[in-house]
Amino acid sequence: MSNSSEIVLDVNHVWKVYCRNLKRAMWYGVRDLGREMTGQGHDRTITALRPGEFFAIKDATFQVRQGECVALIGPNGAGKSTMLKMINGLVRPDAGKISIRGKVAALIELGTGFNPILSGRENIYINAAVLGIGKREVDRIIDKMIDFAELDHVIDDPVKTYSSGMRIRLGFSVAANLRPNLLIMDEVLAVGDVGFRMKCFSHLRDLINEGVSIIVVTHAVTMLRRVATRSVVFGNGKIVFDGDLPTGSTIYEEMMNVPSQSTEKRDEKDASTKARIEDVTVLNEQGQPQLEFETGETLRLQIQLSASEEILDARVIAAMCSPVHGKVASMSTAYQDFQMDLQSGQRTIYLEFPKLPLLIGAYHFNISLYGSKQTDFHQRRTIQGNFRIVGPPLLSDGRGLGGIFKLPHRWDSD
Amino acid sequence: MSNHDPEPGGPSEDPSSTVANDLPDLTDLADAPLITYSSVSEIRTPVKLFGEICHDFMAGRELAWRLFIRNLRGLYRQTFFGLFWAFLPPIANTAVWIFLKSQNVFSIGDTGVNSTVYILTGMILWQAFIDAFLSPSKLLNSNKNMVSKLRFPRESLLLVAFGETVFNLAIRIVLLIPAFLVFSVPLHLSILLAPLPIMGLILLGLAMGILLLPIGSLYQDVGRFITLILPFWMIITPIIYVPSLNFPDSLLNWVNPAAPLLIVSRDLLLYGGTEFGFLAIVFGLAAIVLMLVSLVVYRVSLPVLIERMMA
Repeated sequence: MSNSSEIVLDVNHVWKVYCRNLKRAMWYGVRDLGREMTGQGHDRTITALRPGEFFAIKDATFQVRQGECVALIGPNGAGKSTMLKMINGLVRPDAGKISIRGKVAALIELGTGFNPILSGRENIYINAAVLGIGKREVDRIIDKMIDFAELDHVIDDPVKTYSSGMRIRLGFSVAANLRPNLLIMDEVLAVGDVGFRMKCFSHLRDLINEGVSIIVVTHAVTMLRRVATRSVVFGNGKIVFDGDLPTGSTIYEEMMNVPSQSTEKRDEKDASTKARIEDVTVLNEQGQPQLEFETGETLRLQIQLSASEEILDARVIAAMCSPVHGKVASMSTAYQDFQMDLQSGQRTIYLEFPKLPLLIGAYHFNISLYGSKQTDFHQRRTIQGNFRIVGPPLLSDGRGLGGIFKLPHRWDSD
Repeated sequence: MSNHDPEPGGPSEDPSSTVANDLPDLTDLADAPLITYSSVSEIRTPVKLFGEICHDFMAGRELAWRLFIRNLRGLYRQTFFGLFWAFLPPIANTAVWIFLKSQNVFSIGDTGVNSTVYILTGMILWQAFIDAFLSPSKLLNSNKNMVSKLRFPRESLLLVAFGETVFNLAIRIVLLIPAFLVFSVPLHLSILLAPLPIMGLILLGLAMGILLLPIGSLYQDVGRFITLILPFWMIITPIIYVPSLNFPDSLLNWVNPAAPLLIVSRDLLLYGGTEFGFLAIVFGLAAIVLMLVSLVVYRVSLPVLIERMMA
C-alpha cells in the first residue's frame, strides 16, 4: 500500500432534498428539469424547502483514504443509500461537493442487466460490459470467473433456471474483476451461502491490502467486522458518529432502541403513585458516570428510588437488554435477599457487575419496582442506563470470540 | 483485527480460487482524474458537457453492442417463428390498407407505381420513424433497474435505440426486393441517395423521442397521449395517399415532422427524383440540431429522473 494517507473520497458538507409526495415530486421534477436546462441549479440550503420536501441528507462530511474500508450504517431511511447514490454519481447533491480521485465501481444489485433467457456465459459478457470490462479481458479470464462462481456445470443453461444464490455468485464473480480505486457496495454480502460469503470477504481483504478503498452500506454489522475498519453512522440524514467500527456499531444498536409507546402507556396506567424510580445511572468501578466499557471491566448501576409513604419489603428487578438480542439477563433484589424497606423520601441502591463478561455491543436496563406482593406494581422504566462495550475488538474470522458473552471456558484433550 | 490479517480467515475459505491475482493493476492515484459532483448545473460548462457526452458515446460502444445482441437474442429465442416477427407488422399494415383500398374506402391518388409497393414503402419508412421515436423511452424503461442503480455510459442506450431501429428497418427493406420484382418497379440511381433522408428520418424520430423522455418519465400522461394520437398521426402522414403540392393542403407537410423526410425517402426509392428537396433539407438540418439538443437534455435530465422516479 503506497501513500495510504491519500484521500480517495471527500464528501464535503453535502445536503440532499427529497419529496415523498408523488404528485408533488413529479411537479418539482418538471421544475427542476427546467432549472437544470437553464443552468439555474443551485445550493438548495439557501432557499426555503418547498411544501412536502425534507432533507434526506443534512450537512454530511467525511473522507475515505486509500486502502480504508468504511461502513455506512444506520437505521432504514437514515440516508445511507442516498449517500451511496450520490457518491456513485447517480443523483446530484443539492448542496456541498463530493470529490473522488480515481476510478469508481459499484457492487450494487449483483447481476444487474442479466437477461434470464440467455445463458450464464452470455450473461457474463453482458454484465461485464455493463461494469466496463471489455470482451477481450473477459475472454482471458472467463474460466476463472466460472470457477470462482462454482457454476461450471450450468454455465450454458439459461439464467432463469438458476437459483437466486447462483445468480448472486455469477454476479459477484464478474464484479470481482473490477479494479477501482473506490469500490461502492450496498447490502450485497447479506446473501449467498456461508462458504461463498467467506470467499467474497477474502477477496475484499485482498483488494484492501492492495490499496482499494471500499465504502459499504449494510445492516449486517457483525459481518462487516471481517473487513471494515471504520464506521460512519447515519441517523435521520445526519452523520451521528464517525470512528471505529465497534463504537459505531454499538451506537447503531442504540439507535434501534425505540421504546414501544403502547407498553409505556400501559405501564404508566398500572403504576402506583406511592413509589417511583427517579434516576438510573451507569457508573464505573470508581463511581464515576461512564458510557463506554471494555469486556471484563466492572460496572455499577445506580438506581435512585423515592417513596411517598413507607413501603416494606420492596423489590427491584433489573433486566439487562440488548437492542439486537433482547433480554440478556435479569436479576431481582429478592433473589439475593437484599432487604429493601422504603421510607418516605429518597433512597439510592447499587447493582454491581464485577468483571462484566459482555462482548462488543450496546446494552441498557429495564428497571421495575414492586412492593412485597406479586400485584404491588409501582413503576417500570424501560431503556435506562445505556452503556456500550466497545472493546477489545472481536476476531470475526473464526479465530476469536463471538456472540455477546465471554464465558469462562477451557479447551482440553485426552 | 481481522481486516489487517493477511492470512485467509474463516473455515471455508479457499484462497486458491480467488480471482484477484490475475487482475489489472490499480490506477495510481497521482495520475487518476478527479471527479466532482455538486449542485451546479452541468449545462453551465457546455464544452465539458459535450466532451463528456462524446467520451461516453465512445466508452459505451461495446456495452451498446452487447445490449443490442442481448435484446436481439432475447427477443426471438423464445419464439417459434423467430426473425419472421420482424417482417410481420408492415406486411399486416399494408394488407389492411390494400384491402380497404380495394373496397374503395379511400382513394390513394395517382401514385405512378403500383399502389401496393407505394403503401408498403411508406409503411416501412413510417415504422422506422415510429420505432426511432418510441425506442428511447422503451429502452430506458426496460433498463430502469440498471440505470437507477449503476453508473455506466448511459449514452450506450441511445446507441442501442439507433441500432435496433436501423436493424429492424434493414430487415423490412428486404421486403421491398420481391415487391419491386413482382410489380416491376423500375430501379433508379437515386436509390443510392435514399439512405440520407432515411437517416434524417430516424435521427428526427430519435431526437423527438429523447426530448419527450424527461416529461414522459415523470408523467405517464405523455405515453398515453402518444398511443392515442399515433393512428391519427399516421393518417395525416402521406403513406396511403399522394402528398399534396397545393396550398393549403401542402401546409400539412410543413407541420408534420415525419412527412418531409418520409416523402423524400420514398420519392428517391420509387421515382428517381423529388419535388420536396428543400423541405427535406430544412428538416434534415433540424434533425441534426434537435439531436444535439436532445443529447444534452438526456444527460442533464437523467439524475433528476433517477432521483424522482426510479429511486
